Amino acid sequence: MSRIDRWFTNWTRSVARRSSRRSFLAQLAAVVVGGSTLPLLPVARAQGNAKAPAPDEPDASKAAGDPGECDYWRHCAIDGFLCSCCGGTQKSCPPGTEMSPVTWIGTCHNPADGKDYIISYNDCCGKHVCGLCYCHRNEGDKPEYFAARSNDINWCFGTKSIVYNCSTAIVLGVATEK
Amino acid sequence: MKRWLILVLCTAFVLVRPGLAVVPVEKPGQVEHLPQPFDAHWAWVGDLVLERMSLIDLDDGQFLGMINGGYGTMAPLFPKTRNEIYVPGTYYSRRSHGERTDVVEIYDAPTLSLVGEVVIPPKRSTSRVAQAHAALSDDDRFIAIFNWTTGTSLSIVDIEQRTLVGEITTPGCSLVYSAGPRRFFSICGDGSAFVVTIDDSGHELSRLRTKPFFDPRADPITEKGVRIGDKWVFASFEGAAHVIDVSGPEIKFDEPWSLLSDEDRAASWRVGGMQHLAAHQATKRLYSLVHRGGPDTHKVAGEEVWVYDLASHRRLDRIKLVNPGISIMGFPIDLGRNWVWPFNELPNWLLNTLAPANVHFIQVTQDDRPLLITASEYTGSLGLYDAKRGNFLRRVMPTGWTSDLLLTPWGGRDN
Repeated sequence: MSRIDRWFTNWTRSVARRSSRRSFLAQLAAVVVGGSTLPLLPVARAQGNAKAPAPDEPDASKAAGDPGECDYWRHCAIDGFLCSCCGGTQKSCPPGTEMSPVTWIGTCHNPADGKDYIISYNDCCGKHVCGLCYCHRNEGDKPEYFAARSNDINWCFGTKSIVYNCSTAIVLGVATEK
Repeated sequence: MKRWLILVLCTAFVLVRPGLAVVPVEKPGQVEHLPQPFDAHWAWVGDLVLERMSLIDLDDGQFLGMINGGYGTMAPLFPKTRNEIYVPGTYYSRRSHGERTDVVEIYDAPTLSLVGEVVIPPKRSTSRVAQAHAALSDDDRFIAIFNWTTGTSLSIVDIEQRTLVGEITTPGCSLVYSAGPRRFFSICGDGSAFVVTIDDSGHELSRLRTKPFFDPRADPITEKGVRIGDKWVFASFEGAAHVIDVSGPEIKFDEPWSLLSDEDRAASWRVGGMQHLAAHQATKRLYSLVHRGGPDTHKVAGEEVWVYDLASHRRLDRIKLVNPGISIMGFPIDLGRNWVWPFNELPNWLLNTLAPANVHFIQVTQDDRPLLITASEYTGSLGLYDAKRGNFLRRVMPTGWTSDLLLTPWGGRDN
């Protein structure tokens, strides 16, 4: 064994004696957290902008036009995990889940055409929570006793299971009053 | 002679050398019980990801135990007269599907062991809001569980007899709050309260709908009211305090008062958070989580806690909050703990100074040296403050992976 090998072996053993797995994980986590605050490199995201923008919607390269972003224009009153990040889209559920037929609604402004739209936030149900792209916006949200405008209620009703997976944002029509 | 001396010394060294002491044999199968009596500084901390509530000793940071609660948010009920804990829950026979069973689970408090259950109709409301989905009558006899199937009702359980009594419809009204030994109320979509009284068998005796006491379209109250003695205190989105007095045979509404002054409003201060009110029973102090923001920020994380005297409505204190701390998957980010002074203080200083407070939940312990507890929904860490003086004390972590409802049921009353 060379002198360098011996030195490196002794050093790593010394570190191992002085530090625990717990503190290593804590410091590793700190690096991860710290790293998350740095500007992100242009790596591919799982969802990305691969899907073609819908007609009359904002530019899909901007957050207001990207269904995978919390700032997407339809998400103004959403509370949950975005189906666009979970195998579905803003208007469809991920495979194997079931869309709830009843839901809460919001009224969101589409910057592409300057109109307000009624948005139906149907939940997708039957698989456990997706856990990706959590988004919590509350424009027009009301408490639970005002059910049709409450985004806190688990809206997996009329489905085989009330287990919540993710939320869609479906255009129901142009709003005549906000 | 010299050889004998060496032999004696070696024998003595072997006999007294501590490193060679043998670890005593231990008995398998031991399970901890909670030390008694229950302590005022033990706090329950919800965790949506791990689907549990953890019991944390705030004084030494020890994780004492936990209870599970099935699918969704958890809000256990703690009777004053029995060492039990009641947890409404929802289960599927095949975890995410299959047959649904809703229950009220009964835990023995000193051992945290499941000791019984009452099966209830499988339509219990599940929601991101944990509060006000079940209530215990003031004499600990009955539990009302809020059902939501787009229709609304209460399931009534006789928890002493451990039986389901029946169901009471609450048309157009949601949630449930205790209002006496045989009375509950719900909040209705038109801003009124729906009051239900039950008889000694748990069946409906009377029902009435009050006049609206707030405007749910212009300035709704949040679901997250707190009870101080016989008064329920609710806060509206715009900072009005609505007080419901449940002391008499008829429930009454005090004149609303404002948690915010004109100067506060001009500076964009608002109430908000997921558990934005807390109360200290003995001093009748109300704690309100506030932030600076615009309309529709009623669930946004807070940056200060404002303390009020409930009788005079006077604001007594403003507590500036710091970040409750960071943990990732149960590992605390406590850099600097083993560093040399003064560098060991640097990470905490950075966290206190640069990180946003980001507090979604607050609670207060009920003893005469109360602690104000804060938590963020994104991490399993708690911030602790002296609730009387307002100074930050320390962080406690990890409590779990995320944080949800905070409860401090013990101490300050006869348990």
